Amino acid sequence: MQPFTVVTAVAAPLDIAKIDTGMIVPGRFQRLPRRPGHADYARVFLHDLRFDSREQPRLDFVLNHPAYKQAGILVTGPDFGCGSSRESAAYATLDFGVRALIGASFGDVFRSNCMQNGVLTIVLSQSVVSGLLAQLQAAPGAVMTVDLPHQTVTAPDGAAHAFDIDATRKQRLLEGLDDVGVTLQHLAQIEAFEKQYRVDMPWLAHMI
Amino acid sequence: MNAPQSLFDRVWARHVIVANPGGEELLFVDRNLVHEGGTFLAFDQMRIDGHKVRKPKQTLAVTDHYLPSTHRATAPASIANPEIRRVVELLDANAREFGIEHFGVHHPRQGIIHVVGPELGWTQPGLLIACCDSHTATHGALGALPIPIGQSNQLRHVLATQTLWQKKPKTMRIVIDGALPAHVTPKDVILTVISRIGIGGAAGHAVEYAGSTIRAMSVEGRMTICNMSIEAGARIGMIAPDDTTYNYLQGRPLAPQGEDWDRALAYWRTLPSDTDARFDRELALNASELAPMVSWGTSPEDSSPITGSVPDPATIADAEKRGRIRRALEYMKLSPGTALSSIKVDRVFIGSCTNARIEDLRAAARVVKGRTTTIPAMVVPGSTAVKHQAEAEGLDQIFLAAGFEWRDASCSMCGGSNGDLVAAGLRCASTTNRNFEGRQGPGALTHLMSPAMAAAAAVSGRLTDVREL
Ligand code: SF4
Repeated sequence: MQPFTVVTAVAAPLDIAKIDTGMIVPGRFQRLPRRPGHADYARVFLHDLRFDSREQPRLDFVLNHPAYKQAGILVTGPDFGCGSSRESAAYATLDFGVRALIGASFGDVFRSNCMQNGVLTIVLSQSVVSGLLAQLQAAPGAVMTVDLPHQTVTAPDGAAHAFDIDATRKQRLLEGLDDVGVTLQHLAQIEAFEKQYRVDMPWLAHMI
Repeated sequence: MNAPQSLFDRVWARHVIVANPGGEELLFVDRNLVHEGGTFLAFDQMRIDGHKVRKPKQTLAVTDHYLPSTHRATAPASIANPEIRRVVELLDANAREFGIEHFGVHHPRQGIIHVVGPELGWTQPGLLIACCDSHTATHGALGALPIPIGQSNQLRHVLATQTLWQKKPKTMRIVIDGALPAHVTPKDVILTVISRIGIGGAAGHAVEYAGSTIRAMSVEGRMTICNMSIEAGARIGMIAPDDTTYNYLQGRPLAPQGEDWDRALAYWRTLPSDTDARFDRELALNASELAPMVSWGTSPEDSSPITGSVPDPATIADAEKRGRIRRALEYMKLSPGTALSSIKVDRVFIGSCTNARIEDLRAAARVVKGRTTTIPAMVVPGSTAVKHQAEAEGLDQIFLAAGFEWRDASCSMCGGSNGDLVAAGLRCASTTNRNFEGRQGPGALTHLMSPAMAAAAAVSGRLTDVREL
């Protein structure tokens, strides 16, 4: 997983409440493989909001505005990522190029799935989020900065907003460690366990 | 002296590698089961991260969910739906790439994962078994510690590390004592439990099923009980191993043999709960009071003895429950007060990891023998081995003569992933474990019951008390 330190990127205002994981990746794409390059998941991100039934871009949808081609930060309405636990929602978010999401609240499972994939979700008060949305809407293509070491979000107007993050989560993101990475830090203990287990359970030894 | 321990406590403790400050423990996974479902995402992610499967011999892949139940010989090429075909082919390719044994489309050991593991002797007492499926608890019937995991993140973690972080759940013991009346089966026992405690009744608990009724049950019957633990809210269900378990396992292809068997057996005998083991919750049931059950709503807890009738929501005090049942009856197209045994059904499905083992097929065949179905009905054996066994016993001929379809092993109409669906508005008597809205297809109306009861419904064309046939 890619470490997260400081990200400066175009920020897009996605001022819609309760975008659930089924909107992030519609159910019919559940069987979509994810290959290196990830273009398929980038394509299905918010698919039905971005494309009409003939697969043509909906020109009135914010992410189809040319200014947001390179968007790396999304400022969202409340409860982005609520709904089912499908992890593909986090994959699609990352593969679309988004490294940070800023909103007043997020779906729980989506949030932890994002963590696993190096995408930072930042919770700010609704009034700050509304302020950010207004600034972004007034200046399409505006850039924001997310600074994880200092736990700040810098708005287009230069104001810095502090955010909270669990210390363990922060450390993992800074180091680019997902669950597997964290567990493999215990590899010596795992191997020692397995060695003893083989001795204690000789009838299982051939499979361990 | 050591503190008294339950079966669950003991097996859990045996697998703890380290604990983290957050209260989670890193558990050693003896064996991991993979099906084709959504698991390709875990493999895709492994490939992207450059991870290998750390202990390939400890994982077994089996194709079941998306496999057609007909025209097996020409699958997967003949699978018409390209997406379904791709999912089936992907598991094969992933298993090969990552060095995992795979019981694929044409393997003689292919079947529903939860049927295959035990019948092979791959599932054993005291093992911690992870599987990316809600019905993993089935393996607990042999005294294994089953842990259901997610299909992407958690599966990837198990594949890459052969371990799993888990918070230890609370424990609950459900004690069932007494002799089951004639024609009352393990399925009726577990539907009764769920109807009493509700779909979330055992949430957060690892359940141990105990008591003389369980002791008297075959391993197959115990699997039916453990299988539906999740429908009572429990992710883990277990039954202490005993001579029935050991007799079941001895001689199975992957069971220990010779000296290994003796050593394993000595260990297994130490596993059952101490008599004074403590549980956070207890529930007791008297088997002699039970009757054949059917579900009438859209949750497994909406089940009643077949002698009963559809409940009247107006008589339910709790407003939330009243609203839910009103909606359920609307979906199920049933009116309050209707006698359950008067409800006409349109088709019958005998199959799934709950009730498609040899014993289930025998029970259904006993009812069907010499009779004919009045409606479309099919039997989908739980595994290819079960299918062959049934054919050796002539059960297929009994079903075919009665007008049933005799199909190839897969999950089939349990969830319909392979395209075996119940059409909208049609009512299906089903031996499966879930009757949620749309579970067997959009608009499908599912009634859960035992194999004998499903067979009786096929004969009469309505929900039927098998005791009256
Ligand atoms: S038979 Fe049904 S419940 Fe069992 S594993 Fe297959 S789909 Fe799941």
